[in-house]
Amino acid sequence: MRIRRVRLAWVAWIASSALLLSCSNNPYPGADDTVKVRYGALPSAPKTLDPAVTYSSLEHKITANVYETLLEYHYLKRPYTLMPGLAQAVPEARPLGDGRVAYRFDVRPGMLFQDDPCFELGEVGRRTREILASDFAFQLMRIGDPEIPSQVVQTFSKLDGFSQFRERLKQLRESEEGFAELRIDLQYRRAGPIEGIRVDGDTGLELVLSEVYPQLLYWFAMPFTAPVPWEAVVYYDGKEGRDFFRDHPVSSGPFKIAEYDRFFRIVMVRNENWYGVRHPEWKAPGTVYPSSGEPGDAAAGLLDPDYVGRSLPLLDRIEYRIEKESIPYFNKFLQGYYDAAGIIRESFDKVVQQGRLSSEMKARGMRLEKSVDPAISYLGFNMNDAVVGTPGGDKARKLRQAMSLAVDAEEYKRIFINGRGILAQTPIPPGLFGYDPDYRNPYRTPDLDAARKLLEEAGYTGGIDPETGEPLHLTFDIGDASTRTRVTYGFFIDAWAELGLDVELAATNYNQFREKVKKGSYQIFTWGWIADYPDPENFLFLLWGPMAQATSLGPNTANFDHPRFNELFLEMKDRPNDVRRIALIREMREILERERPWIELLHSESYALYHGWLKNLKPAGLSLPQAKYMDIDAGLRAAQRVEWNDPIVWPAWAVTGIGIAIVIPGILTFLRERQ
Amino acid sequence: MLAYVIRRMAYGFVTVLGVLALLFFLFFLYATPDEMARRSLGEKAPPQAIHDWVVKHGYDKPAWSWSDPKESQLYNHYHSMLTFNFGTSDADDSLIAPQIRKRMIPSLVLTLPLFFTGITLGIVFALFVAYFRDTYIDRMGVVIAVLAMSVSVLLYIIGGQYLIGKLLRWFPISGFDPDPALIARFMALPWAIGLLSGLGESVRFYRTVFIEETSRDYVRTARAKGCGDGRVMGAHVLRNAMIPILTRVVVSIPFLFMGSLLLESFFGIPGLGSMMVDAIQGNDFSTLRVMVFISSLLFIGGQIATDISYTLADPRVRLD
Repeated sequence: MRIRRVRLAWVAWIASSALLLSCSNNPYPGADDTVKVRYGALPSAPKTLDPAVTYSSLEHKITANVYETLLEYHYLKRPYTLMPGLAQAVPEARPLGDGRVAYRFDVRPGMLFQDDPCFELGEVGRRTREILASDFAFQLMRIGDPEIPSQVVQTFSKLDGFSQFRERLKQLRESEEGFAELRIDLQYRRAGPIEGIRVDGDTGLELVLSEVYPQLLYWFAMPFTAPVPWEAVVYYDGKEGRDFFRDHPVSSGPFKIAEYDRFFRIVMVRNENWYGVRHPEWKAPGTVYPSSGEPGDAAAGLLDPDYVGRSLPLLDRIEYRIEKESIPYFNKFLQGYYDAAGIIRESFDKVVQQGRLSSEMKARGMRLEKSVDPAISYLGFNMNDAVVGTPGGDKARKLRQAMSLAVDAEEYKRIFINGRGILAQTPIPPGLFGYDPDYRNPYRTPDLDAARKLLEEAGYTGGIDPETGEPLHLTFDIGDASTRTRVTYGFFIDAWAELGLDVELAATNYNQFREKVKKGSYQIFTWGWIADYPDPENFLFLLWGPMAQATSLGPNTANFDHPRFNELFLEMKDRPNDVRRIALIREMREILERERPWIELLHSESYALYHGWLKNLKPAGLSLPQAKYMDIDAGLRAAQRVEWNDPIVWPAWAVTGIGIAIVIPGILTFLRERQ
Repeated sequence: MLAYVIRRMAYGFVTVLGVLALLFFLFFLYATPDEMARRSLGEKAPPQAIHDWVVKHGYDKPAWSWSDPKESQLYNHYHSMLTFNFGTSDADDSLIAPQIRKRMIPSLVLTLPLFFTGITLGIVFALFVAYFRDTYIDRMGVVIAVLAMSVSVLLYIIGGQYLIGKLLRWFPISGFDPDPALIARFMALPWAIGLLSGLGESVRFYRTVFIEETSRDYVRTARAKGCGDGRVMGAHVLRNAMIPILTRVVVSIPFLFMGSLLLESFFGIPGLGSMMVDAIQGNDFSTLRVMVFISSLLFIGGQIATDISYTLADPRVRLD
């Protein structure tokens, strides 16, 4: 009996030793020291990969790499510059005389979709087919399909006949029996054509717009307008074990989906049919590593002669995992299991010191790349409000000006967001046409004395409301009731309290906040905007009267409706980037400066932290197809992982030993006493 | 017994109806259909898209209508739940039922081993300390158990990830892989943490139960008749302590399917627990109601199963 027990203990000992010795914190199954795999993470599962629908930067991390577009942005140049993608050239607008304009895209001939069983629908045994102009037209029709919840319908409604097509399709589906069961491309054919979309042979695509709209071209650098084969939409219908199309992109881009389990892992591999892989001799701009960029790119190692002119893509494989919690994600990054990461608040001071990468991180070969996002955050006034808004007249204007002067965004940035951002003087962020680095908004340089004087002129001497004899009471609504946000926004409350104003922070949950906005019952709020495309129109329209929340539920939450500003906006939005446009933007800026519907805070800065083995990363605020330009030194990564992740096993033995040492004497004593 | 079960099921049915009604009203106190649409479509969604979404998902209908009940939200709500027609998610329009089937697996991978080892270790440790009653082993066991149950699960998770994953580098900090060769590597840490955070409480509980049993007459009789320690504890005491053990254990079986909210979220395990968290965060009413509905069914099932298990454990118990 005794012997058997001893033997059992040995078995347990050996088994646990084996477990400990075999243990590893490597989360990846296979060897990856010779393959160029890029490991990344997404904070949540993508909702859909249907290019007509996807609108979040998270989903674009996938779709931008599998859906190639007619145009794309230059990888390195700023301001963002368009260049041809699947199209031969960036088209010029051709005025048609009656206010309408036309654009003609010439699609490169001889490009293929990825191999996919869906193409058997067109021809038995076929695995792929050529990308045709009609595939772009089909996708534009999908955007107009009322059954597909695309958010860019409004944009493409400028195409002649687009809205009518949408209406006809809806009517046919409702009125004609069996129509809705027809194959989708046949439905579109019956409801079509759209006069503004003309397919000319295999490669010609002509678009006619009912009005001048130069921003249209930007939309052709986004996955919304990528070519989609009708076969894929028909075949992937979710029946008989087939995927839904939304989960099964058929790639025209440098990568294709190899595994798509959206709650767990998304794997993309090189698409051998991509035009850059099949035709490196074309040297198409989107298929080779660029030879020029903005100043500073060379110093940042982004114009390495080893890469310039090389055929893309450089990676073999991209793996994304879902990492909802930022702390484990960051720790895995530090262990070398992710190639790049944002910097979490908890570790900011450890990673960044005085705006630079800390020596500890530098010693590990890490790099830090900063870039200003094409974005703005601001505090806004509800201009429909009687006290702070337009009805309050000059009195309210002075109040807004005074409140703007009291807000020290520099201090706010330092205390609450680790200094990540640059101060905003106007709504337009750097990197966009119309941004003026030398302009200083007089109301955005904190000056309490001037602010107090303005308050006095407004009739609120010392912040006292003459009607009540008490400090002027205002409310500042925010859509987040957490302690952290309360403290953050308490900063502004304190700033205004310096003027003697009594601003109450009304922190509710986001749903309630949205409800208040909808009802118009708010005075001060805070919001932000990220560019859809790099054009000043995409920021100044946030203050355009017809976009007012109160009248059209639009994104002009300040309900700013200034006749002259509106007029200038209309002229500015359709102009090419010329001197006149600058002049218009300047005049709009002056109106905003004086009227103060917003207190501009910051253009945020993205910090990309990445390991030395990840090459050619350039942060971008827009969703660009970046992955094809990146490279991985897999050997270096493997070596560093080994160095950083050697398990420390002795504590296991120590704990076990201590446990045994404590328990055994007790047992022995007990048994002895009982005998 | 059959009559009893049927009666309990009828009570249960009423409870489920109540739960569904409560969920419906509480949810819409919290979120408006516009907000659900915005969460699904994105912050920049234009008003027309929001409107279309609301209409498409039927949230423009009245909560209840006497004239045309079938055209009301409440009717649809009950109808789709009671016919087990779960439909699609409000967050992304994907089908809910296949998703539940799929995500149940990672949940079970997490909870099943945790459940069995939890019970086994809990009972073994409790028998052990109960056997060494009033020695320092017993006292120390109690102190450790109380300490272990006083610490928040969150601290175990974060501390475990830091200590085991980051400092000692034994296992991955978080993650999941269905590959059988990797399951143990990924699950070792959540299993250990789940076990540790639950063990203190169960050892305390089982110990109390066992100690109460060991002081009974039959134990003394068995000992007097020369029965060995192992047999007394393992056969007699354990068997007689079965009723309180079953009360604790059987009722929790159904919830194994639902996974663990915290462990799954922090360890990135794509199970039903994290699905529930996503649904709550994403204003996803249609997924949330399915999860709540299934949970309430499981809860009622668990209660009935507990009652039945009593009769199996103790022939004196009869269900009338």
